[in-house]
Formats: sequence, structure tokens, C-alpha cells
Amino acid sequence: MSRLEELLDLDVLRHYDRLALHVRRGMGDRPGDRRFPGHPHTSGTEVESYVSYTPGDDVRHLDWNALGRLDTLLVRRFTAEREVPIHLLIDCSASMSLPARDGKYARAIELAMALGYLGLSSNDAVRAVLLTAQGPRASRVLRQRPGAVALAQLLGEATAEGALDLGSALAEYASSRSAPGVIIVLSDFMAEVPAIEPGVAALRSRNHDVHLIQIVGQGELDPTRDFASGVLRDVESGATHAVQLTPASLASYASLLEEHFAALTRLATATGASYLRVTSDVAAADIVTGDLARLGLVRRR
Amino acid sequence: MSAFGLLNPTGAIALTLLIALIALHLWQRPRRTIPVATLFLWARLPTAPSERRRFRPTALFWLRLAAAAMLIAGLVRPYVEREAAPLDTRSLLLVLDVSASMQTREPGGSRFELARQRAADTLAALGPNDTVMVVTADDHAHVLERWTSDHTRARRRLETVGPLDTPTNLTPALTLALAEAEARPATRVVVLTDVPPAETGIAPDALATVDYVQIGATDDNVAIASVTVDVPPFRDAAPTSATVVVRNYSARSHRVVLGAHIDGETWGWRTLTLEPHAAEHVTLVDPPRDGVLVLELDAQDALAVDNRAVAWISRGAPLDLLVVSDSRTLTATFAEVVAAIVGSKVEIMGREEYERARPAGRRVALFDGFVPAHVPPAVNALYVAPPPGSPVCPSAEILGEAAVIDWIDHPTLAGLRDLQAIVTDRTSRLGTPAWGSTIVHAAAHGQSFPFLVAGQRGSRRLACLAGDLAGPLASSDRLPLLMLTLSVLRWLTEPYAGAPRVIETGAAALAGPGPRGPVAGPDQGTGLAVIGDPPVFLARRAGVYRVGPPGGARRVLANFVDDRESDIGRYEATTRLAETPMAPSRAPVKPREIGWWLYLLGAGLLIAEWATWRRLGGET
Repeated sequence: MSRLEELLDLDVLRHYDRLALHVRRGMGDRPGDRRFPGHPHTSGTEVESYVSYTPGDDVRHLDWNALGRLDTLLVRRFTAEREVPIHLLIDCSASMSLPARDGKYARAIELAMALGYLGLSSNDAVRAVLLTAQGPRASRVLRQRPGAVALAQLLGEATAEGALDLGSALAEYASSRSAPGVIIVLSDFMAEVPAIEPGVAALRSRNHDVHLIQIVGQGELDPTRDFASGVLRDVESGATHAVQLTPASLASYASLLEEHFAALTRLATATGASYLRVTSDVAAADIVTGDLARLGLVRRR
Repeated sequence: MSAFGLLNPTGAIALTLLIALIALHLWQRPRRTIPVATLFLWARLPTAPSERRRFRPTALFWLRLAAAAMLIAGLVRPYVEREAAPLDTRSLLLVLDVSASMQTREPGGSRFELARQRAADTLAALGPNDTVMVVTADDHAHVLERWTSDHTRARRRLETVGPLDTPTNLTPALTLALAEAEARPATRVVVLTDVPPAETGIAPDALATVDYVQIGATDDNVAIASVTVDVPPFRDAAPTSATVVVRNYSARSHRVVLGAHIDGETWGWRTLTLEPHAAEHVTLVDPPRDGVLVLELDAQDALAVDNRAVAWISRGAPLDLLVVSDSRTLTATFAEVVAAIVGSKVEIMGREEYERARPAGRRVALFDGFVPAHVPPAVNALYVAPPPGSPVCPSAEILGEAAVIDWIDHPTLAGLRDLQAIVTDRTSRLGTPAWGSTIVHAAAHGQSFPFLVAGQRGSRRLACLAGDLAGPLASSDRLPLLMLTLSVLRWLTEPYAGAPRVIETGAAALAGPGPRGPVAGPDQGTGLAVIGDPPVFLARRAGVYRVGPPGGARRVLANFVDDRESDIGRYEATTRLAETPMAPSRAPVKPREIGWWLYLLGAGLLIAEWATWRRLGGET
């Protein structure tokens, strides 16, 4: 079974048919199925409020009954029904490929496919963006379920390689997309938090609904699984550092890792983004129906 | 118990590869690079000292070490040699004495019946998969039944065999049994005989591995120990005498009656009282006629086979001799000798005279120094010192002094002994003609050759004597040669037809010319075999046989006369089990090489190492 076939496996996607992304922000400009109360619109199906008539308003929405009783020209305003642009930003740096046995990148792709399928099922506009060392590689805006094929094709061709400054990449993408939407970042976030923060902040400044999903491998949580000592080489920068895993060094590493996770949590809190950390040994479907549901990003239709 | 060994010990040199592997591991370890997703967390940890090379094996190292060790272990080709478990089957080799002494009657049956019963009991104790072989022993060894697990068949074969009238010689049978036992380690050898172990001719340590069952205790036996018939040459039967030796082998005195009959006509009776272990000589004279003499002893003892003997009382024929010689000494000597024999006559002529007018008639001719081209069919001839080139008596050359060194039992030598006293000055080196066989051997100049050849050619008897009869034969040193010559002349004189052969059971005797079958006599004729080339008589039953078709048969008189065999006293029956038990039988041990298994294990470890290496991301 090819990568594309794996991503388009109906047995897997069928689990997502009764689910939908739950978004509270990121209302798009184009009409859609999602209702955004508090954003009265001149057209729609559900009357939300009335406003005084001003020249230029569509006379079809005048409330003739109110004019008869109150002799006042009132125009109906409706609940906004818009589509939500969902941006799936996938970290395609080389760090996603390590530890090799953990399959972080594969899990990220599967999650992206699942979330994209949920968006397409909800008639949202989905755009997948591969954050690569050569720059972002974005798909066209995909709508409806048939867009899943194009989404899968893009995701299936992606590979994790090269060095990526995640913060800069996010900031760059934020600057190119002024219209708000839902930004879901799939990355290991294995970089200094201060380097990531500008990117997240830039996304939030564009009023995007930002969700940070961190995918880590068990080998990162327990490095003794893969080595006891050696020269560690950063797969992206090439920098090396000799390490010998002793109880003391392992304790220090665990402490630093927890601090890193805590810093990411603080970043999300500070910027109004949501943050979820999952391990790659958990199946994508379980993440969608478990962790993402608890996060509130996914719920039943 | 199992043994372990190496078929290729030099392959252990490859163990140095393990040292190289460890060195490589130590050399590689500090340089081992582990790619990680990010370094910023690790960079905050203190750098580990890279110069430390303490040996710290990893799982990959152990896998590689184990794989290399397995491959090297396979290279030295180890093998396991497990001692095979004892086989369930056993082998039994029965040696059954069937000699004449086994006919001895004991309380409960004959010795042979007792032995056969013991053999049957031993057979019955065998398991269904056990194998058995039966060997009978008289004067020779006979395989009665080869190795078989069919015990019923072996038991049936035992029922068909019986004791013979032959002496005992256990050596061949025991040698055969011990050789079989050595070839089949689990073989139990059981010897059933009446011969004491010390008289088997087998070393005691070899006999210690067999179960020796000695049967029989009685010594109650009186036997005809020997029969000697003295027939004066060239005379009729009247002056013939027979001397019979009757011996008491028991420890008590016996009163026995000896009867002598010639062709059914009583010659005489003798009542003898024999003291313990004593012998009596009985001489019988003036036989009523010629014919087969049957001597029977009425002794009521335990062994009957030696109570009967047969002999031949012949009627001597007068000598009618033609001497053809140019030697006056020789002709004079024979003239004197023949003149001394009543009823005999001699005609003497020279060689040329014989060539001119060959005398006819049935007679015996002596040709001295030449072989005539033609001899009348009715003439039996003795050729003395035949010259080289003779077709009748092949002679290579004339030698100087020669001495007799050996001779065989043959009617031409009847009554003669100590022939080694014969020395001749001039001797023809004879060959052995197709019509005859060598009776006496002589030696000269370090080589042996036939000295006397006798046989039958056509309808007449011929003999060739290598020694020259020139010179005074009547002198004391030449007398043995004269006696040999006269003995040969007697053989040539006696009528061929009707002269029986007297032989002893168990001993082969040249059959000579004449029919070889059918044989009629004891045991429907099976007691006498005419076998071999030249044919020999081999009697296993004493008695009178007729060999040949009716009307043309010749008689063979077989006697059982064996002093050792008749001495049946054993005093006690004993059973001595093997002192040195045979080793338990085991299946053939074949070294089982396990090198290929080690190669397989090494390959499996290599695969595991590769999988581990892949799992670790291609880095160690």
C-alpha cells in the first residue's frame, strides 16, 4: 500500500465522518456553513438582530410588520454563516525524522490528513502548508470531501529534510495570510521557545485561531532507549555534542525537557493559542478522538 | 556420556577476529555519532570526556560478538559423539560338541542329549529380537545355523543334529566363536562339551569370556583301542593274524567278551577281565577266510561306539615278477628275494631282450632305469629311476644323494614306518604325473621332489620310484629301500577289485581311483563323504561303506579308534560362566557435526544485529 493509499484509507477516514473541527475564531470571508453569532450580517437564514434602515440597505430585508406597528424602518440582520479557512502547517524539517524508529513525521502527516478531512467534511476551506527548508509549500484551498485526494497527494509527497527556523516560517506565513483562519501547527517544536514565539505571535496578531500540536518521540523522552553515550549531532544544524548518559545527565535532560514543554505551554497561554503534546507511538485516530477532543478542537457533529 | 571434539582445530585461529572486534568497538565507540532532532537541550549538559575508552559493550556489540563467535565455532567444525545406548538385542553363539565321546550315556541321557537340552533352554531364554548362531564341533567346526532371530528354526536345527563317530577338536569351533563374539560385542558364547577347558587348545584368558558348560562325569568305558592285521606279503590268508588291543578306561575292573567275525563267519571269542585302566592284547590267528573282519566288544559300558571295529583280511597273491634290468646285482638280488617267497616266481631279462620280445600275461614288471614305449595292459609296472624325458614317469634330471623326508598314508606303504632311513646315491628328480599322486617325498640339494609316485592308469597300476636300486640291496643300510620296493610290488600284485580301504573316522584319506558314489552304509551313506580333488574319503560314522554302483562298488572300512576320545572320564560336570562379560552391544557411534547449526545460529544473530541496527536508525 502506497503512502497515498494509506492516507486515503476509507476504513480510517470513516472514523472521522461523525466528527468536526470545533472552531470559535477564524471566521472567513466567504459564505459557509459555520455560524458566527455576534457577527450580524445583511444576509443569512437566522435573524440575529435589527438595525435602523440606512439608505443602501436591501429593502428585501425590511421588517414590514415593524414598520406597520412602529412606523419605523428596521432592517433584519442575520447570523453570519461563513466558511473557516483551516491552515495545516506541517513542520517538514529534518528533526521530524528523528528518532527514526519513532515515526514523528509520519504521525504528523496522518494527523494533518485527519484534520484536513474533518475540515473538508465540514465544508471548510483547507489549505495544507509544508514548512520546508526551501520555504512553505502550500496547497490550493481545498473544499468538500473530494479535496481530500489533493490533500493526500501533497502530504504523501512530503519528506522531512533540511533545516527549518520554525518561528520565522510561521511569521512569514502569517504575513502572507491576512484573512483570519484556523492555524494548526504540527511540529516537534524542538527548538528554543524564544525562537518560536515570534511566529506564534505573528499568527495570533492576524487573528488566527492557533493550535500548536507538538509530536514527540519516545526516544526523545527516554534517550537511554537508543544510546548510552556518543556524540550527538543536530540533524539540522550539524552541531555536535558528546554525551554520556549517566543518572545525573539523564535527570538533567529530563528536567530540561520538562522545562521546554512548560515554556511551550506558557507560550500558548500568552499568545492565546492552544497547545497539545502527543507522542508518536499513539495512533492518529486515537489522538483525534482522544487528545484533540479533550482539547476542544474536535467534537461530534 | 558424550564426547566433544573439533574436526578443524586450526579454525580456532579465527578467534583472533574476536579480539579485532573488541578493538574495533573500542576504536569506534568515541567516534560514534548519534543524530538527534535537536541539540539545544543536550547542549546544556556537560560534554562527556571523549578520550575515555573504557570498554562499555552495547547490545549491538554483544550481538556482533555472538555472531562472530558462532561463525568461528562453526569454522572449527565441532562434533558431539554420544555414546550409544546399549542395544536391546543380544546375540547367542552356541558351540555344541558332537564328537564321539558325546554319545556317552550318563544318568538322564547321553551327554549330547544333555548338552542339547541345555542349548534349548538357553535358546528359550532369549528375547524375540535376540539372534542366535549354532556351531557344532567334532574334529572340525561346522556352522549349523547362521545368525538368525528365528529361534524356532535354530531349535529345529538342533533337533536334526547328533553326535558323530569322530574325535574332538574344539579349537576351530572356539576360534570361530571368539572371532564372531569380537565382531558382535554383545555376543554371549556358550560352549557345551565334555572336554575340560584346559584341553580345548584355547588360551584361558580367551576362554574367560565364554560360558563353558562341561557335561559328563562317568568314566565307564572299555574300548577296542587298536586293531592290527598282519598279512604276510605274497601269501594267502592263512598266515594272517589280527592283534586287538582292548583297554579299560574306567576306574573299575571290567569283564568283557570280544568277538571276531569275518563276513559273518565267527573267527573267535575271547573273554577278558580288565583291571582298572588296564589293556589286554588279543591275537587272533588262522582266519577262516579273507574278508571284512568285524570285532565287537560286549562290555555294557557307557560308550558303545568304540566297542566295534572293522578290518580287512586279505588274501595275498603270489608274486609273479618280471625284472627288466641290465644290472646284474639288481637281478641277482631279486632272484634271491623271490626264491625266498613261497609260491612266487621271477623272470629276469635285459632291456634289449625285453624290447625284442615282450612277455605277455598278467604279472608285475619292474623296469630298472628305463621306461619302455609299450607295456602290455595286463602288466602292473614299477619304474625304478626313470630317465629324464619319460612321458609315463616325468623326470627332470638325475640327482646325486637324496633322502626321504616325508610320506603319506597309502596302501603302498602298508606296514612300513621310519622311511626317513631311506637314502639313495643316485636319484631321478621325479615330477607328479596326472595319473598318480606323490606317496613319498625326498629332498636333495635343498629342494624336495616326489620320491615315489603311485596311481592307476587305465586298467593297471603304476608306480615310479626315484631311487636307483643299483648296489647290494640286502645290506643293512639299503634294506629300507628294499622293503619299500617290495611293499610297492605287493601293492602292484594285489588284485585291485575287492580290496577295501581301511580308514579312520575324522581323518581324510586319499580315495584313489574308483567310483566316488553313490555311497551306501551307516546313516544311509551320509557317514562317509568323498570330497575334494584328488578325492579323499572322510568318514564321520564308523562302519562298512560301499562306494559306487552295485556290481562295481568298492568298500571302505571306517573305524573309530581314538584313545583320547575313548577316555571319557571327566569326574565332574561343571558350568563356568564367563569371567569377563562381553561389552553391551551399542549402536555404531557416528560423530555428529554441529558446525552447520552454529553457522545457522550465527546467521540468525547477524540478522538480529542488522534488525537492531536498523531499529537504532542505522547508527550505533
